[in-house]
Amino acid sequence: MLGVVPVGTRDPRWFAVDLDVSYTKGSLCLMVHFSVSNTVLASRQLVSGGWSFASSQQASIEATCLAAFALADEMPANAGASTQFLLKSQFADGCWPAFEGDSEGSWTTALSLCYLNGMTDFASAREKASHWLVEERGREAHWFWRWKFKTADRNVSFDPDKYGWPWISGSASWVIPTAFSVIALKQFTVCNRSELSEKRIRLGVDMLLDRACAGGGWNSGNSIVYGVPLPAHAEATAIALLALQDEERTSVIRASLAWLKQKSAAIESVESLAWCILCLFVYQEPVDHLKAGLATLVGDGRDIRNNATLATAILALRCGEMIHPFVVLR
Amino acid sequence: MNIDRRRFVGSAAGITATTGVAADWFWPKHSVSYQRPRSFVAILNATEYSEKVEALLMDGLRLFRLNLNGRRVLLKPNLVEDLPGPVNTNADVIGAAARCFLRLGAAKVVVGEGPGHQRDTELVVQAANLKPHLADRRIHFVDLNRDELARVELKASYSGLGELWLPRTVLDSDFIVSMPKVKTHHWAGVTLSLKNMFGIVPGMKYGWPKNLLHWHGIHECILDICATVPIHFVIADGITAMEGNGPLQGTARDLGKIVVADDPVAADATCARLMGLDPLRVQHLSDGGRFLGNLNANRIMMLGERVEPPARPFSVLPDFEYLIAPTR
Repeated sequence: MLGVVPVGTRDPRWFAVDLDVSYTKGSLCLMVHFSVSNTVLASRQLVSGGWSFASSQQASIEATCLAAFALADEMPANAGASTQFLLKSQFADGCWPAFEGDSEGSWTTALSLCYLNGMTDFASAREKASHWLVEERGREAHWFWRWKFKTADRNVSFDPDKYGWPWISGSASWVIPTAFSVIALKQFTVCNRSELSEKRIRLGVDMLLDRACAGGGWNSGNSIVYGVPLPAHAEATAIALLALQDEERTSVIRASLAWLKQKSAAIESVESLAWCILCLFVYQEPVDHLKAGLATLVGDGRDIRNNATLATAILALRCGEMIHPFVVLR
Repeated sequence: MNIDRRRFVGSAAGITATTGVAADWFWPKHSVSYQRPRSFVAILNATEYSEKVEALLMDGLRLFRLNLNGRRVLLKPNLVEDLPGPVNTNADVIGAAARCFLRLGAAKVVVGEGPGHQRDTELVVQAANLKPHLADRRIHFVDLNRDELARVELKASYSGLGELWLPRTVLDSDFIVSMPKVKTHHWAGVTLSLKNMFGIVPGMKYGWPKNLLHWHGIHECILDICATVPIHFVIADGITAMEGNGPLQGTARDLGKIVVADDPVAADATCARLMGLDPLRVQHLSDGGRFLGNLNANRIMMLGERVEPPARPFSVLPDFEYLIAPTR
């Protein structure tokens, strides 16, 4: 039966079928198709247990986390090896580097914590990671830089009192690392809230709301430079909205969601479209048509050289069939 | 004595530059020098983007008698955002350059870029319409934001960073061609071949944008990066350039030129002059003129057309009005 299924087809109809109707031709093909993408991703796993972005031997923490999420259900052995790799890669102070061989902590700590949050074990690793995240902040959090941005340097419009998380220590807060940090801390503190963590989460949420673009959505950081509004980015908007999923639906969130819905219909890039689906699904917006489009773009996955992108696409295509890695249940 | 703001800033820049030269003499901040007795620059006239660009560029490149046999060439265009307008180096120019270098004997041509703001590189490549230009000759595009990295000690110490992680694709290339879009820049004044090298700094380590570089000084980081990864050749896309609030939100300015050069400082100085700006007042050009290449017009040999300043200089943000060259 499997031999006659045209694996690698780009027919989007195969992704619109209902998986509950088991063993129909469509669902079988869908499963085969997924398993091809999964197999492609699994075949690229490094001996260390991690994944690089592309064809190198240097594992990336981002690619590893996303790949482990994507394979957790179907290929637990691969995911298990990546879990061990992640645990070995954690620094003593609780943070993770951006990639194997790097010696500085980075935003990938938030992504790693998201991954470990889905497990019952490794409490110590999660505890240390959350502690590091609570302490980490953008450089503008320092009183001197806040004062400078409030008084002397007004070319970039933002409220420096509302700061989030940087990509790496020593730089300012940016939208994506802040959003992932908020998600990670919200997930971690579902049953484990403290005044300190709640305060830090609130500050991160306020930072995101402060940096939103005028017409909805988020750019990489500030929304206005030299008086000119910056355009929103789909990926940053999707991840920021994931961080705000349990917040009150303010006008900023509503406008951003509307912007993303409209934008997603025209996106032909796998990475951005996958993040749109992961976000819109959480907000209970229809995503089947987007999944169909994504399936067409992904094909059997072999042409997607970036493993983080392939993993994100697998996660997006499986929305509704597995626990959403970035859902916040508070 | 009346001193207006522009003259004051110009004088201050002159004094600072003089002091800098003196300090650099005693305590040099760079351990390398790429200056040669003479640099060569050619200005090619092109009124529009089309398949004719390849023939024009080939004629221009032949003027330099490049020996590319067996060499691995990296084209580093300026691909920043999926925005309309002259934000990115035009794909016609990139594709033409790739084909020209293959015709000139290069063993391999790779196009590499690490966009600074947009994390989804694929989106930027799509917006630039680059793929059709590369597919026919099987030229690979490498996302420098996510390439394998190696830790590299910097060969200059302007920024104080000491070292950077840089992409293997860049470090393994024999011949690096910086292909900027000629634009004004709201933090650096201009973005030309030297500033374009910010794009080799990997986002996977330094983020989107590469904000650490801003905190350590844009001009200083440009100098350190270009000292460490020398640019061998420049092809600057100035057919449609950008003025005003560049590099993303400026306005299109038809310049009708492609500038090609074997020296990035000479190339950028020429571009600045074509923009009606004084290269001596651009900090990283002024400092780079001491070791990255030739800034002085006397040491720049024009192959063909001479530099003619525009009737109207490129508009710049008020903070950068001091860059505008005095009219003769």
